[in-house]
Amino acid sequence: MADYNAIVIGAGCGGLSVAAQLAKQGHKTLVLEQAERIGGCCSTFERDGFKFDLGASIVEATELMNRAFERLGTSIWQEVDLIPCDPLYTVMLSDGTRMTIPKSIEATAEEIGRISPQDIAGWKAFCAYMQGFTAQLNDFFVTPTLTGADMLKIFAGSPKLLSYLPLFTSSYQDVIKKFFVNEKIRESLAYQTFFIGLPPELAPGIFAVIPYQEHDGLYYARGGMIGIPEGLKRAGLRHGMELRLNTAVKRVMLRNGRAMGVILEDGTEITADVVVSDINAKTLYLDLIGEAQLPWLTRIGVQSYEYAMAVPMLYLGVDYTPPLNSHHTLATVPMESMNDFWWGDYRTGRIPDKQFAIISWTSHSDPELAPAGKHVIILTLPPAPRTVMGKTWDQAKPELIDAYIRYYSDHHIPGLAEHVTVADLATPLDFERGLRTPFGAIYALRQDMTSETVFRPAARSKSVQGLYLVGASTHPGGGVPTTIASGIVAADLITKYEH
Amino acid sequence: MSHAKIKLIAIGLAAAFIGLSQLSESRKRFLKELLRQTPYLIPRYFV
Repeated sequence: MADYNAIVIGAGCGGLSVAAQLAKQGHKTLVLEQAERIGGCCSTFERDGFKFDLGASIVEATELMNRAFERLGTSIWQEVDLIPCDPLYTVMLSDGTRMTIPKSIEATAEEIGRISPQDIAGWKAFCAYMQGFTAQLNDFFVTPTLTGADMLKIFAGSPKLLSYLPLFTSSYQDVIKKFFVNEKIRESLAYQTFFIGLPPELAPGIFAVIPYQEHDGLYYARGGMIGIPEGLKRAGLRHGMELRLNTAVKRVMLRNGRAMGVILEDGTEITADVVVSDINAKTLYLDLIGEAQLPWLTRIGVQSYEYAMAVPMLYLGVDYTPPLNSHHTLATVPMESMNDFWWGDYRTGRIPDKQFAIISWTSHSDPELAPAGKHVIILTLPPAPRTVMGKTWDQAKPELIDAYIRYYSDHHIPGLAEHVTVADLATPLDFERGLRTPFGAIYALRQDMTSETVFRPAARSKSVQGLYLVGASTHPGGGVPTTIASGIVAADLITKYEH
Repeated sequence: MSHAKIKLIAIGLAAAFIGLSQLSESRKRFLKELLRQTPYLIPRYFV
């Protein structure tokens, strides 16, 4: 008899989601987390009295997340104190123009009209189109996409989805250009492509739904974003889930092609009926299982995936109230500049002269994150490659911290340089080491149409029996709500195939 | 191969060439990137 019914590798949102659900079903479930805290990219750490969010600094799609919480006999609203963010964000366009984007779609139309009256109609048409599209998605995010038959079922269940095929065959940029004529408005809607790790001209058009969906509401978790995985953990523990921190898994044990448990870094063996992985799928298959254990076609498939881009994060504690006016500020550049960055600076390891970033003023939403009179600012910086300026990130880090602070002080946050009391930079190398995600790819694998749904690593392994995947590597992809949804997919598959 | 078939292929190629030449550089890069990944679709289906 195995030690556990299920072992989950990784206490990210996906891992905790599936583990808590399995525990609720009465299965003896153990979560193994190599880091000192839970949450993966949705986590919070403390330094010198300031609380900083490691990666995610905002969340949307609360109803999708709530589906997992409801299965645990609770709700996200009971477990997590979510603070609504309205305005959704401020946009600082490259020419100095400011836009404040409210939650209300109608009020957003007015704000767009202030810059470009002819784009009011485009915004309304865009929202109507995306509303129709999202209405067809129904259970898409919690439905397995293991085979072509699964995809046929999805389209059979929502035949109107076929009328939205252009979203699947065109780029994000094409969609934005179709609805909007003014370059400033296009610029204000372009940054969201980097949420999925690609520039506007390469990101699939379906992701253009994000600027619409955000108007369902953006939220921040009081006390830090770790509040969301903490909510899942709390609910899971109530149902008997076990969690071990600082416990790294070295191998997945196999017998006759079936996962039998794990071997820890210290050599300890723990057996289980099923193993669930919440780590990068390439790391799982190539390191924890081993290429030799995989059928040749699977091996080629695993190797072919490209990692998502890495995103450095700058954490600042400041002793003044920054001249910002919302939780999130997008410092943008034109769409073409984002494309040029991808093909140029990103590939050659240069820091772009014209920076673009998400500026998260998290203590604006929750003042308790900083000591009295002080504030937290987190910058999600332009994506970056493995090395920068010909140096490793460790070598470049000290000078980059100073350079970033000076740049944003000069261009976006006046006075910043004189008021920083705490500063740290999480580089792609730090993310690689801390989160066990190769190249610091916080969205795991690239999210283009050739790496989605049936072409993304399956939630139920096709080469190893008793092995399941959750998290950004599998359907429905990277992001806090979607990784929580991946836990629903995996829990349903385990119920269907293992019990 | 009959003349009719050769004509049909030639017309198809010409239409494809004209279609491609009408695309923006950005659109071409999008399609090129998709085509670059296409050989991996079958192996990825088995992961």
